[in-house]
Amino acid sequence: MKKTSKYILILSVCLLISMGCRKNFEEINTDPSTYNPSNFDPNFVLSSAQLGYTGSMDFSYDTWRANLIHCSTMMQAFSSVIGYWNAGDKYVLNASYTAAYWGFSGSTPTAGDGAYPEQVRPIVDVVESTRSKPQYNNVQQVARITKALIFQRITDLYGDVPYFQAGQGFYNKAFFPVYDKQQDIYNDLLKEVSDAVGKLDPAGDKVTGDLFYGGDIAKWKRFGNTLLLRIAMRLSKIDPTTAQTYVQKAIGNTMTSNSDNAFVLGSEGGGRTTLNRNSQILLGDGGQENFYTRWSKTFIDKLKGSNDPRLGVVAVTKLYLDDKTKDQNPNLVYNAAVQKGMPNGKDLSVTPGLSITLDPSFTAFVDYSSPSPALIKRTGPTFILTYAESELLLADAAQRFGIAGSAAAHYHDGVVAAMTYLSQYDPIAGVSTQAAENYLTANPYDISKGLEQINTQYWILTSTMLDFYEAWANWRRTGFPVLTPVVYPGNSTGGTIPRRFPYPLVEAGSNTENYNKAHNSVPGGDLLTSRVWWDKQ
Amino acid sequence: MINFYGKVLPIFRKCMRISTIIVGIQMCFSTLLVAKATKGQEMNFKVVKASLKQVFKKIEQQANVTFVYDEQILNALPALTLNIKKQQLPALLNQLKGYTGLQFKLVGNYIGVAQNADVMPALSLGTAELGKPIKISGNVRDATGQPISGVSVLVKGTKNATSTNSNGQFVIEANLGDVLEFSYLGFNKKEVTISSPAALSVLLDEDSKLLSEVVVTALGVKKERKALGYSVTEVKGESLTQARDNNVMNSLVGKVAGLNVSSVAGGVGASSNVIIRGVSSISQTNQPLYVINGIPMESQPNSLKGNQYDNAPDLGDAIGNINPDDIETISVLKGAAASALYGYRGKAGVILITTKSGKGNSIEFNSNYVMEKVFDPTDWQYVYGQGANGIKPANQLAAFSSGQSSWGARLDGSSVIQFDGVARPYTAQSNNIDNFFRTGGTATNTLALNKSFDGGSIRFSASDLTNRAITPGSGLNRQSFNLNGNYNINTHLTIDARANYILEQAKNRPFVSDGAGNSSYNVTLLPTSVDVLTLKKGVNDDGSEYGYSGNTFATNPWFAANNFINNTKRERFLSSISLRYNFDNGAFIQGRAGRDGYTDRYTSVVPTGTAYRPLGSMSESTTKFSDLNTDVLLGKSFKVNDLTITPNIGGSFRKTQSEQTILNGTTFAVPYVYVITNATAQATPTYLPSNSEVLSIYGTLDLSYKSFLFLNGSIRNDWFSTLATPGKDNALNALYPSVNGSFVFSELMSKDWLSFGKLRAGFAQVGQATIPYQTQLAYNFNNATLNGRPLGLIANQAIPNDALVSSIASEFEIGTELRFFKDRLSLDLTWYNKNSKDEIVQAPTSVTSGYVGAILNIGQLRNRGLEALISGLPVKTDDFQWTTSLNGSINNNTVVALAEGQKSLPGATSRTGNGFTQMVVGLPASQIMALDYKRDDQGNILKDATGAPLQGDLKPYGSAYAKYVAGWNNEFKYKNFNFSFLIDGKFGGKIFSATDYYGYILGLHKATLENRDALGANAATYYTAVANNVSSVFVQNADFIKFRQVMLGYTFPGKMFNNVIQGATLSFVGRNLFYISKKTDNIDPESDYSPLTKGLELGGVPPSRTFGLNLSVKF
Repeated sequence: MKKTSKYILILSVCLLISMGCRKNFEEINTDPSTYNPSNFDPNFVLSSAQLGYTGSMDFSYDTWRANLIHCSTMMQAFSSVIGYWNAGDKYVLNASYTAAYWGFSGSTPTAGDGAYPEQVRPIVDVVESTRSKPQYNNVQQVARITKALIFQRITDLYGDVPYFQAGQGFYNKAFFPVYDKQQDIYNDLLKEVSDAVGKLDPAGDKVTGDLFYGGDIAKWKRFGNTLLLRIAMRLSKIDPTTAQTYVQKAIGNTMTSNSDNAFVLGSEGGGRTTLNRNSQILLGDGGQENFYTRWSKTFIDKLKGSNDPRLGVVAVTKLYLDDKTKDQNPNLVYNAAVQKGMPNGKDLSVTPGLSITLDPSFTAFVDYSSPSPALIKRTGPTFILTYAESELLLADAAQRFGIAGSAAAHYHDGVVAAMTYLSQYDPIAGVSTQAAENYLTANPYDISKGLEQINTQYWILTSTMLDFYEAWANWRRTGFPVLTPVVYPGNSTGGTIPRRFPYPLVEAGSNTENYNKAHNSVPGGDLLTSRVWWDKQ
Repeated sequence: MINFYGKVLPIFRKCMRISTIIVGIQMCFSTLLVAKATKGQEMNFKVVKASLKQVFKKIEQQANVTFVYDEQILNALPALTLNIKKQQLPALLNQLKGYTGLQFKLVGNYIGVAQNADVMPALSLGTAELGKPIKISGNVRDATGQPISGVSVLVKGTKNATSTNSNGQFVIEANLGDVLEFSYLGFNKKEVTISSPAALSVLLDEDSKLLSEVVVTALGVKKERKALGYSVTEVKGESLTQARDNNVMNSLVGKVAGLNVSSVAGGVGASSNVIIRGVSSISQTNQPLYVINGIPMESQPNSLKGNQYDNAPDLGDAIGNINPDDIETISVLKGAAASALYGYRGKAGVILITTKSGKGNSIEFNSNYVMEKVFDPTDWQYVYGQGANGIKPANQLAAFSSGQSSWGARLDGSSVIQFDGVARPYTAQSNNIDNFFRTGGTATNTLALNKSFDGGSIRFSASDLTNRAITPGSGLNRQSFNLNGNYNINTHLTIDARANYILEQAKNRPFVSDGAGNSSYNVTLLPTSVDVLTLKKGVNDDGSEYGYSGNTFATNPWFAANNFINNTKRERFLSSISLRYNFDNGAFIQGRAGRDGYTDRYTSVVPTGTAYRPLGSMSESTTKFSDLNTDVLLGKSFKVNDLTITPNIGGSFRKTQSEQTILNGTTFAVPYVYVITNATAQATPTYLPSNSEVLSIYGTLDLSYKSFLFLNGSIRNDWFSTLATPGKDNALNALYPSVNGSFVFSELMSKDWLSFGKLRAGFAQVGQATIPYQTQLAYNFNNATLNGRPLGLIANQAIPNDALVSSIASEFEIGTELRFFKDRLSLDLTWYNKNSKDEIVQAPTSVTSGYVGAILNIGQLRNRGLEALISGLPVKTDDFQWTTSLNGSINNNTVVALAEGQKSLPGATSRTGNGFTQMVVGLPASQIMALDYKRDDQGNILKDATGAPLQGDLKPYGSAYAKYVAGWNNEFKYKNFNFSFLIDGKFGGKIFSATDYYGYILGLHKATLENRDALGANAATYYTAVANNVSSVFVQNADFIKFRQVMLGYTFPGKMFNNVIQGATLSFVGRNLFYISKKTDNIDPESDYSPLTKGLELGGVPPSRTFGLNLSVKF
């Protein structure tokens, strides 16, 4: 019996020790290398979301495939003879490229590449974590506006997409978000932006994480109203009433000068994570884009035809002397007269009609115009939303709906701004106000061709901003400029310019039920040629 | 020691051989014979040519004395002829001494006989009197000094018997002079004569033939196989060393029923995938727990996780580091009943590895060299060549820009300019795989020193493995050092200490899956008319990649192999110490501590000049890992009549820590200098700590009735730190019970044809906890800053869950073991039913949720199956023997449920983006999901305007895991020759072939020949559409039968070398030689690129066969 009690004693000691050890289990299970919601400033996360909007941290993953390979070439701002650019330049479906903007899950620090992991994930977290926290009121409103900015682009590219449940995996346990109707998304974007703008408080908290304006609340109010204008105007075809209602709210409160332009500057220090997205690709960091991707003949011809002073600034020839080097030629040529665009739809074969080298325009590759070095600096700006866009949208509203004052005046201000803002890339890229005025004198606003003029200018503007997403969306809305599609053998659209990206197949595997529903309900099929809701035939 | 006959006395020889493991007296007098007689009278007798033994008998009869001697002494002596008349005993003994040279010593009524005084039997009568029983105590140990419990101790010729307790101790009443018989399965029977009342120390030798009757069970306890209520399979170390694999677990394929082992196409040093009784976890590890000498060891494969853009090497697992030459036995605990004592670590089964201990004094040397040759699994079309739109390249630019594409014109032998501007005949290049991969080779040399001494033994081994992989520039070096010692400090206290130091360096582990930097991928998918040897230059004169394609991610395979750097270095130290104290009353207390610690260094470099990253980048990752396991166990056996009751209680504590720091940098200031400080853009270091603790207590109760009925029960409770959340008071524990029983019915009947028969049944619950830091939302920073501005991130990849509980698997198994016709035929059958629930799942979510996945407690899995092992000895003569054994298993796996209302759960995604694995309710785990054709109501395939089939629904096409796994082993022995071969097969599994997908995209696949001329320039678009829309054409049947292993050996007997060496065996060995049947067309059916993404393949190292020689020598 004595011995039994000895064992019991030993066991009790063991148990006591174990109870003691378990006390610190909570501490053991807290990662010392991380922060928790109570000691982490949501401003830090806001910065990531805004940077994500300029493109993926992972080597411009989405920018490369969606903005450049697809949008820039479909809009005939750029053209390329690199085989894998056929996806956009020649409308040959590449499902992984059209899926790139949406994004995929991955074990990167951002939990994946593309819009949902790198934009939606952080921005929803900022919105949710600052909700009902007065000390973060302005952060909350800035985040709501940024969120609307982010979602407008996603839905414009794909149509019905997860919106209300998107990014809500932690807060609402929405693991498999449903796809919302684009109409519902647009209605909520309008509501959210107008509400957030109203709640911005210049006397409130400083938005320290803001990359666009360094937390300038007055500028954010104008940004919000301009964004509201842009969102509203997107509905001009499908729902002119709603469009006008919200444009009215924005009128008078939109951006007032190029100093209101929102942009994010790239930075060398963080490597690919922070370098300017478009620049990395166009400088050939991942391929031979520097040599084989050029301004499109359509774009250069348009500038040339109107003697546009931007031509000698945004386009250069002989930037790279051959396809081996990535060192820029110091003796590059800015001369507007020699600028020449490369036709879309061409390749490096020797097939007549397809071969670029057999094209009548071909002299030598170095003679085709490249984007000028000022536009593609690694530390250069990525433009988010500009005063020029704002004015041109107001001109469109005035022309189309007879609201917002004089279309001609807005057109004038928009075009001037669309030329002068280039100095924000680099002083050497600047076009003087005088040059802009001269241009307008030579090419006056013609009310009979108002919408075409306005939206052609919008196309040129967004192309120089390298925001080809916006160029494509506005082209689909307005039909301007009128572009002649290329017809390449084996293209996937029957020789028409795509109007939408199909849904990513990764969703078929990871969100099967909702994907199937959305995939099967795209009018005309889940194809490049089908249209999003607001893109009424 | 020469006697007067001029011969070495046999006893001396014996002592020389056995050495001095225990006190000489017990050893030398192993067969002491004692006879009784009356002392003190004059003797008269006459013998003619009688043995000394007969003489002793005459004396004993007349003098009332007993001779105590070792019979062997007597055997060598010649016969005597004596005529004794009225002689007193002392005079007679003197006379005998004169004839034999033997010493005699009279104590009481006993006469000790020996060659000299040193080895004289210690005759001490004390107070004992002859004829009166005394209590004899003692202990029984094995060769390593470990006590053996349950040894039957019988007074010979009586029914008086007992058995040793858990400390190997016994007490029995016997008379001096009685003979005690010690028997225990797996050891040679031993008889010891009681020559004094002093405690006996008995050493039993293992019977190598019967050793399999004793198996190592949970917590390292050796038990008789017949007492177990569950299935355990043992594999001998020697079967892993001759025809070996660099990852020792791969050698188990086809050898154990219920074990599904698959290698990974990751090249040398890659992980192994070991599944016991089917997939029992939805997303956590399904790899078994490895326990080395009682100390558990983590072995998580450091492999890719099945993301679409996987593009990295497999960095191997922990078990692969173990040197097979050090392994004594591997014991596979398959079911929960067997592994219940491992609680939260026992769910996927347990593999117990016992390493060799010092035995005797010997030197062992093993040398193995095998060559490795690739075999090309592809069967591409060689009708059309490189090019695009059905046209051969007209110039260098066209060749370069059409790159990887085989959508050119018909191969007509005409002169065509290639990517490098050189015109070559436009002809098929079908030997690219053979021309790119080189002949590999692996040399392994192991030297082991064994030394036994009084009360203990020691073993030291050193091993070197040098591998040259088939991928150019790749290889593996491994040195391991093993030191084991055990020592009985005194009769109560035993100590056992082990240390294993491993140094492993892998050079250029090849990338798997996606193509960038992946030599295997790029050589496999080279265009049909491009000769890989024309790319061999690898680099341009300026040092940049010698590219052949406008797609910069189509890395030149030579550049990928020779210029990329993917080196790992692991320094690992496994150590353990175990102390056991045996109380006199049969109780014991045992304490153990073991630590597994390693430092990993991984250097990866994308070199300067790489087409897709011209300025280069590199990453230096350092991981420090340590896992400390300590436990204490105390127990005692009680005997009540025929019932033996053995309770044990114990507790354990585990602390696992790791710390990873990663330095990333890009853009080398000085090109081609790959040191992290040379990277001009350096990211903030990444720091990833991990820390967890588990506390456990457990108890066992073993009941045995006579020797045919056994009942064992156990219960364990674990507390996990990984379930804790600050501010939340949830239960952190889980309870794991088990019960099992065995009925040896053959003990109750005696049938000639049935040598052994047993029924067994067991039920248990085991579980699985989780990794740390999954219960709270956390933030940190990106390792880059934007103009000095920090970029905040959500640290969690998966959505945290603060309500986690440990998952539970309940398993019932029933089985039988039958042996017939004197063990010439045996059968082992098991049926099991295992149900897992509350799975802790990192369930992949839609990317639109903002997270990679969610940590959930969901789902139920069921594994039901049958395992069988039939072995026979069809032929057995003195010279020739044939042993054959067939093992097989059927596992019926079903995903019973997921979250409520959820029908499927995503798993991995193929690089193709249209092949997936998913858990689907009602179907076996890891379904290969692919896109079907789209059909109208009549079932006709719907097509688009171009005639390409439209994309239909995503459907399941079968499990990635084989349902049937079988192995057939044959061993032939003829005199000193032995020959064996192993054939194994797996059936019922599927694999998604991304290689075939790219075969369509790039125009390599034979199926793309159909209608190609008619399609003309549209062929590529058409087949690309087929590949993207109807990925189900890439789901392949992974069934195979493989001629896995062959061995032919010859054993040179020791006498050939004048016994300078004890023996040597030279074997020819071959592994993975060929497929007897397979169904895949362009891939190896065993080419999964990661154990974590079973069913997906792409860009792995092609299969290879190995053959070579093994020499093992024992001095």
